[in-house]
Amino acid sequence: MKLGLVELRRKPLRFAIAGSALVLLTVLLLFLGGLLDGLYINSTGLLRSQQGELIVYSSDAKDSLIRSRIDPDVRAEVESADGVAATGGIGVALVGGEVPGESDLVNLSVSGFELPVDAMSSDVSLAPDQALADRSLEADGVDVGQRVLVGAARTPIEVVGWVEDTNYLQQGGFFVTPDTWRRVLADSRPDANLPAGTFQALVVELADGADAADVAEAIDAVTGGATSTLTRDEAVQALPGIREQNSTFSAIIYVTLFVAGLIVALFFALLTLERIGLYSVLKALGASSPQIFGGVVVQAVVVAVVSFAFGGLLMLALARVLPSEVPVELVPSRAVQIVVGLVVMSALGAAVSLRRVVRVDPASAIG
Amino acid sequence: MLAFAEVRRAKLRFGLLAGAVGLLVFLILFVQALLGSLLLSFTGALENQSAEVLVYSEDARKNISASVVLPPEQAAVEAVDGVGASAPLGEATVTVEADGDDADASVFGFVPGGPGEPTRLVDGRLPTAAGEAVASEEDAGAGFDIGDTVTVVDGNVALTVVGLTERSRFSVAPTLWVTFDTYAQLRRAANPDAEEVVPSAVALVPAEGVTPQELAARVDDQVAGVDALTRSQAVDEAPGVSSVNTSFQLILALSFLVVAVVIGFFFLILTVQKQFTLTVLRAVGAPTSYLVKALLAQIGLVVGVGLVLGGLLTYAAVTGASAGLPIAVEPGSLALTAIGVVVLSLVGSAFTLVRVGRIDPADVMNRQNVGGLA
Repeated sequence: MKLGLVELRRKPLRFAIAGSALVLLTVLLLFLGGLLDGLYINSTGLLRSQQGELIVYSSDAKDSLIRSRIDPDVRAEVESADGVAATGGIGVALVGGEVPGESDLVNLSVSGFELPVDAMSSDVSLAPDQALADRSLEADGVDVGQRVLVGAARTPIEVVGWVEDTNYLQQGGFFVTPDTWRRVLADSRPDANLPAGTFQALVVELADGADAADVAEAIDAVTGGATSTLTRDEAVQALPGIREQNSTFSAIIYVTLFVAGLIVALFFALLTLERIGLYSVLKALGASSPQIFGGVVVQAVVVAVVSFAFGGLLMLALARVLPSEVPVELVPSRAVQIVVGLVVMSALGAAVSLRRVVRVDPASAIG
Repeated sequence: MLAFAEVRRAKLRFGLLAGAVGLLVFLILFVQALLGSLLLSFTGALENQSAEVLVYSEDARKNISASVVLPPEQAAVEAVDGVGASAPLGEATVTVEADGDDADASVFGFVPGGPGEPTRLVDGRLPTAAGEAVASEEDAGAGFDIGDTVTVVDGNVALTVVGLTERSRFSVAPTLWVTFDTYAQLRRAANPDAEEVVPSAVALVPAEGVTPQELAARVDDQVAGVDALTRSQAVDEAPGVSSVNTSFQLILALSFLVVAVVIGFFFLILTVQKQFTLTVLRAVGAPTSYLVKALLAQIGLVVGVGLVLGGLLTYAAVTGASAGLPIAVEPGSLALTAIGVVVLSLVGSAFTLVRVGRIDPADVMNRQNVGGLA
C-alpha cells in the first residue's frame, strides 16, 4: 500500500492520464449536480420556507398555487378541522419589477402572506407597499431602501429587509401584505383578480401532537373534497417539473459516475499489465496479493480524490463565468455525494485488475 | 489482421474502452434528444403558429404566460404602419380532465383565419365554434384524440377535440388550441371575479414589403409598454430556453471532450507500451502505413462498437422515458454525433498516430535484449 503511495508521489504524471479524464468528469458531475440543485432551490424556496406543515389548495387546481383559490368560507371549514392550530393565507403573482438604475426588468414572485416564513422574525409586520426581498435579488441590483416598480401598473414597493431562500419558479421572492399582492395581481392579470379575503392557498400550522397526514385527511373531509391538502414536502414535489428534473438529472449523474468507474478500470488494467514483471518480483520477495491489490486500490482512490479537487476548482472558476441565466448552485452536500461516488466507482474500477494481480506467479520473476 | 488479433487477445481492455465510449455516446445522444424534445415541448406552439410577430406586454419579460396586452396598447399596436393583419392571442394554463385523469394543459385562444392559428395540423380540422379544440398529436393517447371530450376543471367547461397538431406543444404540457371566444369563456368560468379577459399577446402579420424584423422594430418604437418579437425571437428568447440551451450545450461539450481524452490517452498508453514491438515490426519490413492503418482500424472498431452500444442504450432509454415528455432522437443529430465522435477520436489520437508514424526501425539496434548496444 505504501509502495503505491510512494509511486504516486514520485511519478504523479503517470496518473495524469486517468486523472485528466476524471477532472473533466468531475466538472461535468458538479455542473449537472449544480444545475439540478439550482433549479430545485430556486423553484421551491417559497414552499420550503413555510413554517406550517400543510399546504391547502383548491382541489381543482391540481396542486398548483397559481391556479388555486381558497375563499373565506372554505377557509373557515379548514380552520374547523381537528388538529388545525392556525392557518395563514398565501398567494403569488409572477411579475416583472423595475429596479432603480437597472435597464432590465427583474423576475419577481410577489407573495402575499399572513404567517411568517423561516427567514422572517415571528412578529414581522409590513406596511402596504413595503416588501421583504429575497437576498438573491441583490445580484439584480435590488437593495434595502429602494422602491422597486412592480408589475404592469409599476406599483412602487419599498424594500425594507431581506429574506433567504424563498424564490419560486425561478423568480425572486418578494413578500408583501395580502392587499398589496392582490393589487399587483389584479393590475398584472385582470383575469386572475381575487376579492379581499380570498387567497390562492392556505398554510396550516398543526396543533401540538397532531399528525400531519391525519390532519390533511381531516381538512379534505371537512371541506367535502373542495380542497387538496399536502404536506410541505409533497407540495414541493408537486411543483411542475420537479420530479422529472430530479429523475432525469440523477440518471445522467449516475451514468457519468459509471463512466468514471469504467475509465479508472481501463487505466488500471493497462497499468497492471505494464507492471506484471514488477509484481512478480514483489511477490517473490514476499508481498501478498492483498498487499499489491491494496496499493492499486489506494492509488485509484487518491487519483479520484485529487482529480475531484482539481475538478472542483475548475468548476468554481467556471461558475464565475457562467451566464447568470444558468441557475447553477454549488451545494456542499452535492459535492460530498459526488466525491463519494467517484471514490466508490474508482475503487470498483480498480478492482477489475484484481484477477490479474492474484494470478501473478512469483516464480516468473526468475524467468 | 494484426490489429484485430490484438483486440481478440485483450478483450477486457478494449471492452472497457468501448463500454466507456458507448456510455459517453449514450450520454451525448440522450442529452441531445432531451434538449431537442424539451425545447420543442417548451416552445413548439410559438414556433408553429401563423403570426410572424408577437407583441407581449413589456412587463412579461418575453414570457407569453405572464403577458397581458390591455385594449389601449392593442389598439396602438394595430395602428402601427406596416401591420398587414392582427388578432388577439390568449394563453393560459388550466387543469383539465382527460380520459378520467386530471392533467395540466396549456390553452391557446386564437382568431380563426387570423394570425396566431396553429400551422401544423396533421389530422381533423381547426376549431370554428365554441367548445371545440385542437390538441397535440403527442397527447392523443392520453384522452386528447379526435372525438374525445376534455373538461376544463375550473368552471367545468367541456371541449371536444376536432383536430390534432404536431410539434405544437407549450410549456411541456398537452396544448389545446381554441377560438379566442372559447378562451374568454374559459377564463371567465375559471374566475368569476375576472374584471376583463384580455389577450396575452397581439399576433401580427406584416403588410407586403415589410419584414417581420422591421415591423417588430416599428411597434417597439411607436408603442410604449410592449415588447414586439419576431417568431424566432419569441421562441429563442422565451424564458428558460436560453438557459436550457446553454446548460445542455456545456454538458455536451464536456462529454465530447471526455470522449476525445479517453480514446486519445488509451491508444497513447497502448502505443507506448508496445513501442518496441512496433519498432521490431518496422525493422522486419512492415511499412509505416501498415502500423497507422492498424491503429486506425482499432480506433474505428472501438468507436464503432461504442456508437452501436450508445445508440442501443439511447433507444432503450428513449422508449422507456417517453411518459410525460415525448423524447425522440432526430436522425440528423444522430449522424452529427457519430461524425463528432469519430472526428474527436481521431483528434484525440493524432499524437499517437504521429508517434507511430515516426517510429524509426533503426532503434531496434539500441535494444540490448536483441543484441543492440543500448
